[in-house]
Amino acid sequence: MIQIKRSFAISKKDLRIYYNKGPVVIQGILFPIMLFLAFTIGREILPIYIISGLMTMVLFLTSTSIGPVVFPWETRQKTLERLITCPISIRTILLGNVWSSFLFGCIFSTVPLILGIIFLGLWKEMNLLILVPGILLAAFSFSSFSLILSVPPTDTPASTMILTILIKFPLIFVSPLFMPISLNPITFISPLSYFLDILNVGLGSPSAFGSLGLFFDFGYLIIFGFVFLFLAFILHAKVLQKRFKG
Amino acid sequence: MNVIQVSNLSKDFGEVKAVDQVNFFVKTDEIFGFLGPNGAGKTTTIRMMTGVLRPTSGTIQIYGKEVWKNQIMIKQILGNVPEEANVYMDLTGFQNLNFIGELYSIPKEIRKERAFNLLRQFELYERRNSLAKKYSKGMKQRLLLCMALMSEPKILFLDEPTSGLDVQSSIIIKNLIKEYNKNGMTVFLTTHNMDVANEMCDRIAIINKGKIIKCDTPDNLRTVEREYQAINLYLSKEINPSIFTNVQGIKSFSKVKDYYHAIVSDIDQAISGIIKITTEHNIKIHKINTPEPSLEEVFINAIKEGETKNLE
Repeated sequence: MIQIKRSFAISKKDLRIYYNKGPVVIQGILFPIMLFLAFTIGREILPIYIISGLMTMVLFLTSTSIGPVVFPWETRQKTLERLITCPISIRTILLGNVWSSFLFGCIFSTVPLILGIIFLGLWKEMNLLILVPGILLAAFSFSSFSLILSVPPTDTPASTMILTILIKFPLIFVSPLFMPISLNPITFISPLSYFLDILNVGLGSPSAFGSLGLFFDFGYLIIFGFVFLFLAFILHAKVLQKRFKG
Repeated sequence: MNVIQVSNLSKDFGEVKAVDQVNFFVKTDEIFGFLGPNGAGKTTTIRMMTGVLRPTSGTIQIYGKEVWKNQIMIKQILGNVPEEANVYMDLTGFQNLNFIGELYSIPKEIRKERAFNLLRQFELYERRNSLAKKYSKGMKQRLLLCMALMSEPKILFLDEPTSGLDVQSSIIIKNLIKEYNKNGMTVFLTTHNMDVANEMCDRIAIINKGKIIKCDTPDNLRTVEREYQAINLYLSKEINPSIFTNVQGIKSFSKVKDYYHAIVSDIDQAISGIIKITTEHNIKIHKINTPEPSLEEVFINAIKEGETKNLE
């Protein structure tokens, strides 16, 4: 419990320090806007799919924008050694990163929802009991996933940003953003497909995965989040020593 | 009582042996110095002692507990200022301290009071709300020390605490470390600066190439060095130093600025011989003194001896 409290302190620090950093602003705010425009301009898409698509992209990109840069940034700034000599474990630091990414993702992804409610009248079919847990779970899952991207023991944030782009963008492109989910086998890989389905159902559209669709969606995201979180715990503990070699 | 006990400690980085079978202990309330040239293994040792690096072999016990196996518990009672460490530039001085306080679960009110007291002590209070990136190097180092002291640690680790600092910051830091030590805090510091070691440390270990060569109090280290004493001679006129080289008890004789410097193995024999030769050459001795060997001489000789042993 003490370690969880301490992880909140780390997340507060991350929120104060990292969310105005260049790589985070570019990947977390500018990319979703540009991709949104690229996907929507000149196409006829139902309002519900515009909002669910935009929310998916914003949540995914914002909640995975901070995780990859914290470790290389702190290694470069030489604050990491100071941090790990405090009575906290590597898991506490990683959890702190997850909370901050989680909050960042949640806050930004609700902006399109609010816009949809105000301008597109989405409130009529909206089910908050599906939307809220879906957003929270997806933010946690994507944040956990982002920790894996900072495993390489580099002190150059740009290096992890390249790796991040190489992994994140294919996940966006294989997901059926801004259209009903087609049951193309490749879409099953991307966690975005499941979050998108939750949003579509929460905004009044039927699930693309059938009557048990929501069950699959939540189940996949829970497994995805925890698998990556525990994987991050193991891999970061292994590479931590390499950050202080020599 | 020994608060730190290091036994057969080694750390390898691939083929490189950064620390090699090191043994030493640190007693309660003392300032223990780890003296060595760059790359000697000081930082690697301190990183193992503070739980940053895992030893390849050997053990480090603090208050009888193995550091690597009890990291969280041990870190709770340690304060640490790593070499080259930095403060969070995008946080203010106060926010940096508050953050560290939260990591040690210090209650909010105590955290604030303690942070303000430290900022006052280290002459940073007026700048407490400025971002740390606007601080000078000396101010950042003082803030790092404040961060290390936030938890009121029992043992303070300092890796090159005054390296590259301005005189004012250096004096503030040295004085406050001594004051905290007087109040019962054990201090372990690494340095390559003889003056810092001489001025502050109760005991010193000299380390080179990952091995401890000598470990004792500064006075004892100098006493041992007196095996070869020095004599400084101020003479009435210039002479060729070679006329003294065959005098019994003199190991070397050379000119330094306006005086002559002799390294001697037997001071009585050497002085008798010097008086005899100066009389023969009609030279007056204006002044003669036997300077204390400096810690620097001890250090240089220890490093040389260590390297000779390694060659053998």
